[in-house]
Amino acid sequence: MNFLLQTALLARRRILETLRQPIWVFMGMSVPLLYLALFAPLLKPLAGGPGFPGGSVLDVFVPGILALMAFGSGMGAGWIVIGELESGVIERLRVTPASRLALVLGTVVRDVLMFVVPAAVVLVVATFFGFHAHWDGLLVLLGLLALLTAACSAGSAALGITLKQIGSLAAVVTGLQLPLTLLAGVLLPLSLGPGWLQGLAHVNPMYYAVNAARELASGTLASATVAAGFGVMGAAALLAVWWSTHAYRRAME
Amino acid sequence: MTGGAAALTAHRAESPGEAAVCVTGLRKSFPGKGGRVEALRGIDLRVAAGEIYGFLGPNGAGKTTALRILTTLLRADAGEVVVAGLDVGSRPAAVRRRIGYVGQRGGADIEATGRENLVLQGRLYGMGGHETERRADELIELLDLAPFCRRIVRTYSGGQRRRLEVALGIVHRPEVLFLDEPTLGLDPQNRANLWDQLRRLRDTGTTVLLTTHYLDEADQLSDRVAIIDNGLVVAEGTPEELRGRYPAGVTITPRPGFADLPAIAVELEREPRVRGARLDGGTIRVELDSATTGMAAIFDLLRARGVDVLGVSLREPSLDDVFLHETGRSLRDAADPPSMEAIAS
Repeated sequence: MNFLLQTALLARRRILETLRQPIWVFMGMSVPLLYLALFAPLLKPLAGGPGFPGGSVLDVFVPGILALMAFGSGMGAGWIVIGELESGVIERLRVTPASRLALVLGTVVRDVLMFVVPAAVVLVVATFFGFHAHWDGLLVLLGLLALLTAACSAGSAALGITLKQIGSLAAVVTGLQLPLTLLAGVLLPLSLGPGWLQGLAHVNPMYYAVNAARELASGTLASATVAAGFGVMGAAALLAVWWSTHAYRRAME
Repeated sequence: MTGGAAALTAHRAESPGEAAVCVTGLRKSFPGKGGRVEALRGIDLRVAAGEIYGFLGPNGAGKTTALRILTTLLRADAGEVVVAGLDVGSRPAAVRRRIGYVGQRGGADIEATGRENLVLQGRLYGMGGHETERRADELIELLDLAPFCRRIVRTYSGGQRRRLEVALGIVHRPEVLFLDEPTLGLDPQNRANLWDQLRRLRDTGTTVLLTTHYLDEADQLSDRVAIIDNGLVVAEGTPEELRGRYPAGVTITPRPGFADLPAIAVELEREPRVRGARLDGGTIRVELDSATTGMAAIFDLLRARGVDVLGVSLREPSLDDVFLHETGRSLRDAADPPSMEAIAS
């Protein structure tokens, strides 16, 4: 099918682009590992306390780190899109008969890979620090967080096309990053916070992803929390891809 | 230079159904400060198949907006646009398969090699793997990309990159190729090369439509020109036709002290195609209806009066004069026009 071929071709282009700048692959990998090495020890004394049931703090902390990685892998797409608006690449691609959806998904596929591969490495490394790996749950977890990356990637690209300026995009993304990640309990579980904070978190789509990720990491696959995670992330990804495709269709208006 | 070709295309333009681009009543406005800004205020155009057609106008005239509508990048507010026989508004996808586009910003992927760019472009147009590889090699040969086509585009010079971008525009052998300010920022040699390549494309049957604010590009490269200002076509025709509508100046330098110059000037003024003649120092300045008429009569008269002519210079009207006459403004703000001065002796 033409659309699948186009998506594959455009994803290949993106992947080559990434591999040619290994500094980004290296940075993408080193940040989560630094979190593991430097931040996890801070949490050690909390083991067994509120928000950290069970043996290792990493069992709670690692899914959060993975969610942060998923978020970060996707959010870069807007910067690339603005660069390509300026260099005329988007304009050139828009004059070809290539499917607009394929133009969006090419980048999404790369960003998902750029999340999944380093995430797998982080998981393996974390087991050496005492993380209890339930591999079946983790496999599903990677699938769930891949949806988060897809939503962020497509959403960031749509923002980039709409705002057209790096400065505005940076303002919006950094403005969103703190509330979205904090209110998802990425680094510290929200159960540590007061009730109003926990209530506010329910309007944050990422909150459902992080909750489901923690449950999956603990080895629970069939639960309402996991279903809610997939439901919310699936909807967010679909919505973002639709928005981005729409933005590509009318990028010059 | 283009006399024969111009006659041919003029003939072609008259036969209906052979238009590569047909635009009627095209309008487009954008939201701006204090209301909508009208970029195109009712444009009518007809580009014949197989000609090089130039949109000439100052920055902000509406050339790029028009080109973007013709290439499906923008939607028109009103009017009909037919490209390669298809309505752009209702069948953009089908139009895209038949056209090529080289934007002002180029659009080559700078993190990929030139060859990778070409192959991806071909595949996106639905060409098969082998076919695309062959076509890429063909274009590398045609546009002389071989020395650098396996390098990352980021390392290219301006001229190299522009050649690649033209190649990207024609990978799929489009019927109509659109170029937005194709020689902007190119040095004279690269510019001349690109002109040659566009002429060769035209000669193999591709219709080429380009925007430019360079007078010489419109004049020497284009078979026909539409002068666009403030969202309207103010003049349209072959460059020769357009220039022929406006007076040309001839400066005659006789051998000093040879004849009664004031009397000759009066006599010259009586010639039918002469608008005026006056003395300027030791020279006679004559204004003719157009550069193509009246020259012979002047020389006959000078010979009959026994005037020994040392030199003659002809100043043909340029497209800038055409622009000036039509709009009351000069195009020179953005362009560096060559003088159209020819020395006849």
